[in-house]
Amino acid sequence: MSIAAPALDRTVGTRKDRGGRLLPTIVLLVGALYCLVAVAWVLVASTKSPGELFSTFTFAPGTGLLENLGNLFAYGGGQFGKWALNSLLYAGVGAVASTVVSAMAGFALAKYDFPGRNLIFYTILGGVLIPGITLAIPQYLLLSNLGLAGSYWSVLLPSIISPFGIYLSRVYAAAAVPAETIEAARIDGATEARIFTRVAVPMMIPGMVTVFMLQFVGIWNNFLLPYIMLSDQNRYPLTVGLYTLLAKGSGEASLYSLAITGAMLSIIPLVALMLFLQRFWKLDLISGGLKG
Amino acid sequence: MLSGRSGGPGMDEPRTAEPSAAWGTAQKGFVDAWNASHPNIQVTHTDAGGGTDSSAKLLTAARAGEAPDVALVEYQTLPSLIVGDVATDITQYVGDETRGAFSDSTWGLTTFNDAIYGVPQDVGPMALIYNQARFAELGITVPTIWAEFATAAEQVRKADPSTYIAAFSPEEFGFFAGMSQQAGAKWWEVDGETWTVGIDGEASRSVAAYWQDLVDRDLVRVEPLLTPEYNTALNAGQILSWPSALWAPGVIYGVAPEQAGKWAMAPLPQWTPGDKAVAYQGGSGVVVTTSAEHPQEATEFAAWINSSQEGADVQLSTGQYPASTLGQQAAVASPPPVLMPQQTDFWKVASQIAADTIPSITWGPNVNVASSAFQDAMGKAALAGTPLADALTETQHVVVDDMTTTGFQVAD
Amino acid sequence: MTTQNPARRAAESLPNRPRTVRTTGRRRVSVVPYLFLAPAILLLVVFLLVPIGYAVYLSFQGLRVVGGGAFGKRQQIFVGFDNYIAAVTDPEFVASFGRLAVYGLIAVPFTLGFALLFALLLDHPRTRGTRFSRTAIFIPYAVPGVVATLMWGFMYLPSTSPFSYLTEAFGGGPIPFLDLPWLFPSVANISIWGGVGFNMIIIYTALRGVPADIYDSARIDGASDWQIAWRIKIPLISPALVLTGLFSLIGTLQVYGEPTTLAPMAPAISQTWVPLMTIYRDAFTRDDLPLASASSVILAGGTVVASLVLLKITRKRAFGDSR
Repeated sequence: MSIAAPALDRTVGTRKDRGGRLLPTIVLLVGALYCLVAVAWVLVASTKSPGELFSTFTFAPGTGLLENLGNLFAYGGGQFGKWALNSLLYAGVGAVASTVVSAMAGFALAKYDFPGRNLIFYTILGGVLIPGITLAIPQYLLLSNLGLAGSYWSVLLPSIISPFGIYLSRVYAAAAVPAETIEAARIDGATEARIFTRVAVPMMIPGMVTVFMLQFVGIWNNFLLPYIMLSDQNRYPLTVGLYTLLAKGSGEASLYSLAITGAMLSIIPLVALMLFLQRFWKLDLISGGLKG
Repeated sequence: MLSGRSGGPGMDEPRTAEPSAAWGTAQKGFVDAWNASHPNIQVTHTDAGGGTDSSAKLLTAARAGEAPDVALVEYQTLPSLIVGDVATDITQYVGDETRGAFSDSTWGLTTFNDAIYGVPQDVGPMALIYNQARFAELGITVPTIWAEFATAAEQVRKADPSTYIAAFSPEEFGFFAGMSQQAGAKWWEVDGETWTVGIDGEASRSVAAYWQDLVDRDLVRVEPLLTPEYNTALNAGQILSWPSALWAPGVIYGVAPEQAGKWAMAPLPQWTPGDKAVAYQGGSGVVVTTSAEHPQEATEFAAWINSSQEGADVQLSTGQYPASTLGQQAAVASPPPVLMPQQTDFWKVASQIAADTIPSITWGPNVNVASSAFQDAMGKAALAGTPLADALTETQHVVVDDMTTTGFQVAD
Repeated sequence: MTTQNPARRAAESLPNRPRTVRTTGRRRVSVVPYLFLAPAILLLVVFLLVPIGYAVYLSFQGLRVVGGGAFGKRQQIFVGFDNYIAAVTDPEFVASFGRLAVYGLIAVPFTLGFALLFALLLDHPRTRGTRFSRTAIFIPYAVPGVVATLMWGFMYLPSTSPFSYLTEAFGGGPIPFLDLPWLFPSVANISIWGGVGFNMIIIYTALRGVPADIYDSARIDGASDWQIAWRIKIPLISPALVLTGLFSLIGTLQVYGEPTTLAPMAPAISQTWVPLMTIYRDAFTRDDLPLASASSVILAGGTVVASLVLLKITRKRAFGDSR
């Protein structure tokens, strides 16, 4: 076994082979199971009717799934459905807008040289360090001066700016769009805008998919911003809606079941999205950009 | 923080289609009834979700000019709202008919410095809700004074080691305030322009000592109320009573519907035999906000939903105990709450209790600060096993400091 | 035609291209890059700079009663550094940082440690089931913090916990997840659970970028997998480690959702358990926006300082050679 040429066979040694295969696999599987156990619990718990929730072993399936689903969608005259649509709206539109803005900004920062470039870049990066709450309240006051507080815009607009997305776009643009291609296009007489849309963007797609996905997940999961901005329950995204279910739950036990069922349902779209996009996004550009 | 009506704003706006928030389904009923009978002034209702943050949200919304015209708020938050310039003075808009719809002491709940800031909606005279069936089973008599309550607690523990007479949550600000008031405490007093803060006074400390004793002897469960744990125990008949207020049956029914028929209501135990006075716990009123463009109509709306026949009907159907005289009279004629269908004299006893309620506590301008300081201090004390009375001292400290910093005059 | 100088080409594709690159002899100074940047800059100014500025402005204000007797209205006036002093001398605020430190000392090493471990294992040639494991470990990233806390909260609560169910079935008592001192690991666990996957992927993709020949010579020399990992892989991916470390640090300093959502189920969590909860309480429950702003500025400043310190320390190690 160990006589293979070094360049082809990565294994050296004898007994280490078997141990080398089993132990890592087991450790990884344990990790994987640990990550899944909470999700599994939610799946099972959402099958329990309110009565069963506190009285039976929580990993044993219950009988109330359909009842829970029915109650969930009927709650507040269909609010759960609205919450789901709201989340989709905020995350979908927000992520698309954010990707476009980030791509443009990243492209400019990577491929052009202009005064103030570094200053702008570092200011953008600094935005990552500011805690959400510090921004949320002044943003709220600002938006209400504009008459937008409590509207869909109040959640969409602040979500578009993504320092991390711009950073990623810049790194990716720098790596994936060669300068000579741009040059060639310029010589051919293309306008800068055309260069961007026809030349750069197609090359930046994998990076943009990554940015899109990160923003989508980030906005979908965001709690603080919509919580502060919105006061109309019909506009809440899933995160805030589920939280209010839980907070109200102290008065009605059945709401716990609804919250759990709602949580279960809210996980599904994101997981599906990620599984689907897995092959497209490239996170190596994050670490790759640091290699200098 | 619980009071049955965990402080939710109910906000409606006449004549415009702007969304407004309300706590609970009761408010929707009001709005619908009003809109049906007043086609000239239409009101819209939106649900903000209620909960403990709602008065905070109201303040923030008001600051941003986003507040609705009308809001339902807990009485104890009213002074902060006045000082925060959210609740507007409606004395001039309140007509004689409305004035007569509530007793003077009820008006005391929304009147400060001789100015009316809101219309009372429901009140929560304190009472004892207890598991009648289990009391009988374990041979416990209903206590009429707190000393008897302590004895009963011992008996319960002896009769069934898995059961407690009640749960004590150190963080229930409203409950503790009510008990202190029953013992004679005045947490805030104002004389002219000077405030006196009495959270740390003798009466309150004796209340703290009483509960401390029960806690130390393991006669009550120490935990927050209405958590899953609490609910499970309630359903299993391991928590036998809830000293609270008249709105409690609805809440218990919500978490333990199968207990219907097993519970009953009795007057709250007294400190001295023969006394009858109890305090209010919770309850809310309707304020008109400073950003309302039509305060006259807004006041009309508030007055109507809280004192008309239709309004009373809605209140009773959702388990509120009306603040209006009309509502209370109607209550006597209505069936007992779902939790205790067997207690046919429920409303008679209730109205007697209501008549004996001490006119309202004076709430100070920073109740929100007091509440959060109280919860923190008491929570810490319960966890660490330090005396609850010390937590009162700390709360007093924080409250006085805050008032002084803000610029109020506080007596030493 | 432009002269295609390989050196210049190489230079041009680096992010830190020297400023004097010329193209066709003309110096490009145009308004174009600014146009591309315009939306980002506009949003940046409106939603980042202006709010920060306003928060700083607010931090020097205070709400005081100005006249009006017992029920005077509160107004906003300038109070100088009062809020900052109040924040720094507030024992609760200071204590919340202490709790944050305990939480962070558990959360950060475990998150990064597991992320690194799993990434190394994924990169190990003999591991099976990598696709499944990788996906499974990444799934928690897709779960919102509020939902994750909800799930774990129920798994900690004695009456619904499957773990306590088992211990009780075997004669023991319920596991005190939500009591001190176990509360800290319990809360940390939620963010560890949520954070490992994302960081693992970052580290793993960095590992994937290391050419295999580097390992081969080490193997020929007889190095074990463990030694390879420790001596070769980890140093080579140190930029990725620094990045994940930075994220974890910032995330820890700004933790808010987990304790807040868990609080209704865990009496041991006070309203001011971590700094951001204190800030929220000041802003909303106590209606003292200026004080909250001052505390936020302090927290944000601390975050910046901590991040810069981290970068400074690791810069030497991580980037010293390759730059």
